[in-house]
Amino acid sequence: MIRLRSVDKEYDGRKVLRSLDLQVDAGEFLFVTGPSGAGKTTLLRLLYAAEHPTAGEVWVGGERVDNIARARLPGLRRKIGVIFQDFKLLRRKTVLENITFVLRFHGLSQREAHRRAYLVLKRLGLHHRQSALPDALSGGEQQRVAIARALAYQPRLILADEPTGNLDADLAGELLSLLCDINYQGATVILATHDNGLLESIPARTIVLHGGAIHYDGMWPP
Amino acid sequence: MIRHALAEGWLLLRHRGLVSLFLALALAIPIGLAGVTWSIMRWLEPAIGTAQRANVVAVLLHPHMGDDQRVAWLESQRREHPGWQIEVVAPEELAQRLVHWFPYLTDLLARDGGAMLPPLVEITTADPESVAVLERSPAVIAVGPRTPLSSLLGRASRGLGVALAAASFVLAISAVLLAAVWVHLELYRHADEITIMRLVGATESTIRGPFLVATAAPGLVAGALAALGTSAVVDALSRLAVALGLPGLIVSFGLLAAQAGAGVLLPLAAAVVTLMRHAAAEGE
Repeated sequence: MIRLRSVDKEYDGRKVLRSLDLQVDAGEFLFVTGPSGAGKTTLLRLLYAAEHPTAGEVWVGGERVDNIARARLPGLRRKIGVIFQDFKLLRRKTVLENITFVLRFHGLSQREAHRRAYLVLKRLGLHHRQSALPDALSGGEQQRVAIARALAYQPRLILADEPTGNLDADLAGELLSLLCDINYQGATVILATHDNGLLESIPARTIVLHGGAIHYDGMWPP
Repeated sequence: MIRHALAEGWLLLRHRGLVSLFLALALAIPIGLAGVTWSIMRWLEPAIGTAQRANVVAVLLHPHMGDDQRVAWLESQRREHPGWQIEVVAPEELAQRLVHWFPYLTDLLARDGGAMLPPLVEITTADPESVAVLERSPAVIAVGPRTPLSSLLGRASRGLGVALAAASFVLAISAVLLAAVWVHLELYRHADEITIMRLVGATESTIRGPFLVATAAPGLVAGALAALGTSAVVDALSRLAVALGLPGLIVSFGLLAAQAGAGVLLPLAAAVVTLMRHAAAEGE
């Protein structure tokens, strides 16, 4: 599903990722952890081609994405559900519209997009806020809308960057359970977090990044 | 995605209604001016033609000359002045020329197809002054002006046309730049949204659609205003010309259609170029 070969990433001469080699099979659940600045977000950004590596190869779903043509970016990103650390919600659109908007790219009719968006909002306990604008929501609610948007079109790969950063322990547990369900249904999930509580709540393959290199790759807790 | 483009484009227009109206007016003025210039230039075509034929001197022959006498006279002139190019103007063409500038002669000239008019010859020469010698010929009633007056009139007409066309061009370029700047500012204002749309898989056409709609709409209004304005101005000029005994000006349907098209295409072209440059800059 995902393969990184000798990937380096530099920003202004500062190495953020160093000779990273990683393979993630389809259907795996992978935690990526490490201290702030370890390269977790950069690793995820390389996977949805928001960044290009300085050296090395990045393959996602059989497609090389480190030098992907601009015209093929939308196609790649429609295969991936990304849960952003800073939510990235459209401020002028309602909660429901934030989700239907993306579903429409996937060729769904307006009616079907509304139906599916409502279902996913209901699953995340946000259906009563469907007409609210993002700015009227709490941080946790915004995070859940971002999650709903990423899950609505049932992607085969989900990338989550600190998805529980704005959630309380109960909601974080619910989210993890939701991601596990989706993973159980066959989707690959990569979750970047520095929340040890989250890491210890389910046994899963975990890579620990430190200074841009993999320090540990195996089941966690060890 | 057409529905998305229309809905989002409408929102852009609503938020920037005054700017859109200003853009429509800024586009309508040069397009309208160009249309009026085109109509005036078509009306002045004969005068401009005179300027282009500055070395042609018109000579009216005596109407009582027989055909044989006229042919003999022309032959003798060709022999005596090998540098002259002498051409006989058909009575029908002479009648047409007169009718263009004096429309009230139409009925009179239509009766006999210009047969009542004296024969006209046009002499083309490098030295128009040399034709003055014909004034002494008994076969000649009158020799046309050899001074640069006619060419001055033509040059002035052409100069007016060029000046108006240049003004239209400069104003049109300004309006196109205004449209480009407007799109650029809107892109800047919506930069976060555009980034999010790209990250969640929106295609460039989805992103560009609303901006194209929001620039095409004032363009459509500009085209309509320009066409209406041109019709009104040309109609007023035409009535003035007719009142002065001159032929009326004509505004063609093709011109109005071209104005409507230009109204839409000019800002759209500006928007497309700006959006492409923006996408390229984002790619870097």
